[in-house]
Amino acid sequence: MIETLSLVFSQQFLLRALVVGMLISACCALLGVSLVLKRFSMIGDGLSHVGFGAIAIACAANVAPLYFALPIVVVAAFLLLRMNEKGKIKGDSAIALISTGALAVGVLATSLGGGLNIDIYSYMFGSILTMTDSDVVISVILTAVIISFFIVFYEEIFAVTYDESFAKATGTKVGAYNTSIAVLTAVTIVIGMRMMGAMLISGLIIFPTVIAMRVCKSYKKVVVSSVFISVICFFLGLVFSVKYQAPTGAVIVCVNILALGIFSFIGKINSFQIKMMSEKVKKALSVFVLIACVLILVFISSFESLDFSRNSGLSVITTNFASYDFARQICGEKAQVTMLLSPGEESHTFEPTAQDIINISSCDVFVYGGGESDEWVREIISSVDATETTFISMMDVVDSGSEHSEESCDIEDHDHIHEYDEHVWTSPSNAVKIIEAITDAVSEKNRNNKLLFEKNSESYIEKINNLSSKFRQLSQKAKGKSIIVADRFPFKHFADEFSFNFYAAFPGCSAQSEADPVTLAFLIEKVKEEKIPVIFKVDLSSGNVARCIKDETGAEILTLYSCHNVSSDDLENGESYVSLMTKNYENLNMVLS
Amino acid sequence: MALIECKNVCLSYDNVVVAEDLSFSVNEGDFLCIVGENGSGKSTLVKAILGLKSVSSGSIDFSKELSDGGIGYLPQQTTTQKDFPASVFEVVLSGCLKEKKNRIFFSKKEKQIACENMKKLDILGFKNKCYRELSGGQQQRVLLARALCSANKLLLLDEPVSGLDVVVTAEFYSLIEKLNREYSMTVIMVSHDILYAASHASHILHLKKNGSYFSKAEEYTASDIFNSFKDGVGND
Repeated sequence: MIETLSLVFSQQFLLRALVVGMLISACCALLGVSLVLKRFSMIGDGLSHVGFGAIAIACAANVAPLYFALPIVVVAAFLLLRMNEKGKIKGDSAIALISTGALAVGVLATSLGGGLNIDIYSYMFGSILTMTDSDVVISVILTAVIISFFIVFYEEIFAVTYDESFAKATGTKVGAYNTSIAVLTAVTIVIGMRMMGAMLISGLIIFPTVIAMRVCKSYKKVVVSSVFISVICFFLGLVFSVKYQAPTGAVIVCVNILALGIFSFIGKINSFQIKMMSEKVKKALSVFVLIACVLILVFISSFESLDFSRNSGLSVITTNFASYDFARQICGEKAQVTMLLSPGEESHTFEPTAQDIINISSCDVFVYGGGESDEWVREIISSVDATETTFISMMDVVDSGSEHSEESCDIEDHDHIHEYDEHVWTSPSNAVKIIEAITDAVSEKNRNNKLLFEKNSESYIEKINNLSSKFRQLSQKAKGKSIIVADRFPFKHFADEFSFNFYAAFPGCSAQSEADPVTLAFLIEKVKEEKIPVIFKVDLSSGNVARCIKDETGAEILTLYSCHNVSSDDLENGESYVSLMTKNYENLNMVLS
Repeated sequence: MALIECKNVCLSYDNVVVAEDLSFSVNEGDFLCIVGENGSGKSTLVKAILGLKSVSSGSIDFSKELSDGGIGYLPQQTTTQKDFPASVFEVVLSGCLKEKKNRIFFSKKEKQIACENMKKLDILGFKNKCYRELSGGQQQRVLLARALCSANKLLLLDEPVSGLDVVVTAEFYSLIEKLNREYSMTVIMVSHDILYAASHASHILHLKKNGSYFSKAEEYTASDIFNSFKDGVGND
């Protein structure tokens, strides 16, 4: 436990997470008191859905999510309040309408914008470990505003919360207070979404008040203790999530649920109408229960601990399988090479844990894609003290896009495949460039083994070059025959290099699972028209689209490997970039010759 | 001069006229009961008196003491309040909001006013109890104490006994009468209890779709409108 704590306080990024989190928790708790007591809890929930929708649109339109979402959520807060007061549609239905509506718009925008990218994903589930300095500044300002608002107008807020009609009758501007609270809630939710995620932020608003209400009997106590409860739950949640590598937002909500259980129990004890129990006994019992719970928590947390010792030898960390394989082939036994993705894991939705970030900051060479799906790396570079780590972005290494012509990639127009594909390594010539870059980096870090690294690298490059010439021959034989990939399409760079004539269901980066009907119909027509015997699915995909086309046309399904990750079986079987690309060759060969 | 002077007032709710050509006045020390069927505009009238709603035509004039908001209002209870975690003292004190003016927190003076009013209503003993743990009658007294804190001259009670049982209702009524007589509070009470109103109030305002009726209580008991209404109640 103590180790974890000292870790939290020693690492910049964790400290930032702690500061931002505690401040936002305090804000949420304060606002929550008013919302819960006025029966507006669902407004918090509704607003977070609206926030998600707005951010999805912002990501699709490529504008700064925060600044775009803020005004929209504020307007939604106004609307919700108005509907609650005088609308024809009553409160709970109004909120349900707005939140499902916003969710639908968000999903639509996501799909039009090319699928669930990492930005949207991090707003959905939060990414507290990648807070920047500006996040800290924003949350400090927000907290200052909210706390001073609640102190200066404490009595008025109580009156408005407790009894609107009476407050109105005594000349209090009820509307102004309601509006201020709604606006502050909107701002807090938008900012808190970065940290907790849209799905869980409303928990931070509702839980603390409900917990405090179990035992507190006056408004002042509820306000003060809900702030403390919220901050403490956040702190425990963060520490546990660091310790057990669990998603922070979810852990915090679970800690809140636990606290709710404990406080309900204490509340029950207090309300026991047993004469034998005097006030003192009840109090003692409550304190005892609390202490017992804390002890249990401490006990649980004393099991295992994070490992943040610096590795003695050369260490290389890579995000995906292709770069993992390259580093492994180059370094052989001389370095510890680790892949961040677990076997079979989807790279587009990957979120680093605290341990990952610590490992990255203390490793020698870190290889990452450099595209949209590992945008978090940039945040880590700016937020972590990692001066001794060499960062290699594969996209930067191959300087993707600039020298490629578009004509070779003959895909349906409404799939925006021409634009962008971060799977640069699918092109063997790019793979060679990446290998050279990694070789340079590890040689720099470990000069003693420079010769070995270069030898390994040369022999692997040779294998890849052999493969390349085979692909080139295949391409000539193919004479523009169509290849149907009934899946997402991470092979733009591959297709570009060898001028293969690919048709795909959707773009490479999307985590979409549904092709649009027009494309699907087009592919089916194509298969029937040209009597194509074999269609392809991409490794680790569900293959739903491929199955659908197979049912329609009777074509056989084979797999193409994108090498961004492999299943755990394949990893154990010692598959490598070259072996997987060889399989690709064999499979393509069956279609094209 | 009258505390409240109501002249040819026309009230509407959602653009539907609920009361037309209302004229009545309330003088110091009066105990006015506003009776009438559901939808006859009682609540709308209350809001108009509190200045929360403007009248469609006519005028409501207040005497000097009332024009800066010296009306102690006892609204109908909302569901929100039922489980609200507030202490009795906090609730009563919130009645002094008007006095607080630009200070951030309440001063000793306001706390004293709150305590005095709790004493008047015999609830000082519950000062630190939680509002939601009180019985219905006790809760109503707390809200009455809050109303007193904001009242100089006039109490405006909106169906204060709904939901209370017979015994507690009687207690509450006698409390109001005591405030009316001993503390010379002017009282306007909206009520369904027409028989009580006729026998205890000094004035009655009976709201009705076509032609409302305002008079002293004695005259009211002799009127047709009371007798037909009373019989209607009796036949239920």
